[in-house]
Amino acid sequence: MSVFSTKAEKVFILAFFFIALGVPLFFNENTFYVNKISTMLILSIFVMSLDYLVGKTGLISLGHAMFYGLGGYLFAIMVPEYEEVNFWIYTFYVMAASSVIALIVGLIVLRTSGIYMIMITLALAQMTFYFFADSTEYGGLDGLFIYLKPETSIFGLNFLDLDNETHFYYLCLLSLFNCYVFFKITLQSRFGRVIDAVKENPERATALGYNIFHFRLVAYVLSSSLAAYAGYLFSLQYGFVNPTMMSWEVSASALVMAILGGLGTVFGAILGVFVYESLHYGIEHMTQYWMFWMGSLIIVMVLTLKSGIAGLVEKLVTGKRK
Amino acid sequence: MSECVLQAENLSKHWGGLKALHEFNIKFYDKSLHSIVGPNGAGKSTLLNILCGTYPATKGVILYKGNNVTGLKSYQFCRKGIGRSFQKTNIFKASTCLENCCIAAQQRVGGSFNLFKSRQSSQFIKQIASDALAQVGLSGRADTVASAISYGEQRQLEIAMVLATDPQVLLLDEPMAGMGHEESLTIIELLKQLKQRYCIVLVEHDMDAVFELSDLMTVMVDGQHLITDVVDNIRANPLVQEAYLGNDDEVF
Repeated sequence: MSVFSTKAEKVFILAFFFIALGVPLFFNENTFYVNKISTMLILSIFVMSLDYLVGKTGLISLGHAMFYGLGGYLFAIMVPEYEEVNFWIYTFYVMAASSVIALIVGLIVLRTSGIYMIMITLALAQMTFYFFADSTEYGGLDGLFIYLKPETSIFGLNFLDLDNETHFYYLCLLSLFNCYVFFKITLQSRFGRVIDAVKENPERATALGYNIFHFRLVAYVLSSSLAAYAGYLFSLQYGFVNPTMMSWEVSASALVMAILGGLGTVFGAILGVFVYESLHYGIEHMTQYWMFWMGSLIIVMVLTLKSGIAGLVEKLVTGKRK
Repeated sequence: MSECVLQAENLSKHWGGLKALHEFNIKFYDKSLHSIVGPNGAGKSTLLNILCGTYPATKGVILYKGNNVTGLKSYQFCRKGIGRSFQKTNIFKASTCLENCCIAAQQRVGGSFNLFKSRQSSQFIKQIASDALAQVGLSGRADTVASAISYGEQRQLEIAMVLATDPQVLLLDEPMAGMGHEESLTIIELLKQLKQRYCIVLVEHDMDAVFELSDLMTVMVDGQHLITDVVDNIRANPLVQEAYLGNDDEVF
């Protein structure tokens, strides 16, 4: 069975990764754009994890940036200050720690749903934000610096240099690809079948003998740990973490990107991030009042594109084939 | 009479001061159809919802094959073998009919936390699901999206989903509600076959159907048990006539 749900998805994903592979060659001398796109790839992982939660599992979180920030902080706290650590081992540490946190947080927030879940996730994220913003130990609003980037050797083989923009770019691209494939596989699995059922009709799923709380919890942990991974990559790219990463604006704009891209489509997250960020970048350079124009544009897009930009791609692709 | 599979003892449900169900005693037997009738508000649906764990009982005990199941969570009732259908059609409308039954069948087969095994891979699940569809006569609709089939067929699908969970007791809440005459006949035929294998508890307003199908009938009034007997005795019972028609002769 194919990984892709629709023809549009297939066309988009193949085209996207094909073009993305060539980006560093195209911007050969301009690392600014390579860095910029790396950030968008990281953001895509984050928004995709949110779409998995909101669009696929039906749990609306307005505090997902908490895990994005935690991913960075967990690494910055765990890493010894003047010692080069191994990237792969610390990836495992960060994801394991964030999974444990997600499990505990999930046990609390998943007792609610709908509007109450929005409130409680927001509250928890704000608590975490102020905890880090007020702590002297973790640098307060300035956050923490990561002085040495991890080395990436596996069994003595070293083919990836995180200080090299192009290498880092490919790491982000590979991560996004893995994340996408992972989500798609889990959605088509037996677990995914129950997740679909729980999203569409929780009452019926319960009557059929499923403990929907357990399924939501697993989805929450998966989603949150990948959000943490995205935050970890972000902290590696810029060499610091600060509480702004987990502010509610980050959660909200991620939600906007997910909706803009097409909620519940998974690949729409990539579309949402690239369109949103490109518009942001473009309009910001044209006018000081970019937020006004940006907001207006988003309102127009949400009103005209009922199933997001992914829906538009769908129309274009199927239209072409007729 | 065959063995008693489901039994309620002194079952009560109070909503504040309202006694929706009061000190209710009833026994359901295997391989028979036991219908519950009564005027609106008599507590029929409440009884059904308690028997499948949707509401916790205020007081009383539910025994399933001699075991106390009163405190179980609602999803555990289904796993034990007490399946239910809903009064208002309650299916996964975006999925195909087969997938609807697969969701039900997978619960029984297990492996629902497997993140990597494709949902399509198990022929066993598919087999159970198609068998369930075949039982209710929906084989031809297997690949149709559930929202696209007729209302009557959705009611049949509802029953197929319960069958796919391999129940022993079927709690059916008005399976014929809102159906036309022809569609009702299909369901009656279906229930006639099913009652040879399952213990069926039927709540239904269609009296013709109830009289035709029931092995035993219980009449409920105001959350209380009025009478349980075979169909013919119920029909002739003056208490039942009073409960249904009222005792004010002048009106008639």
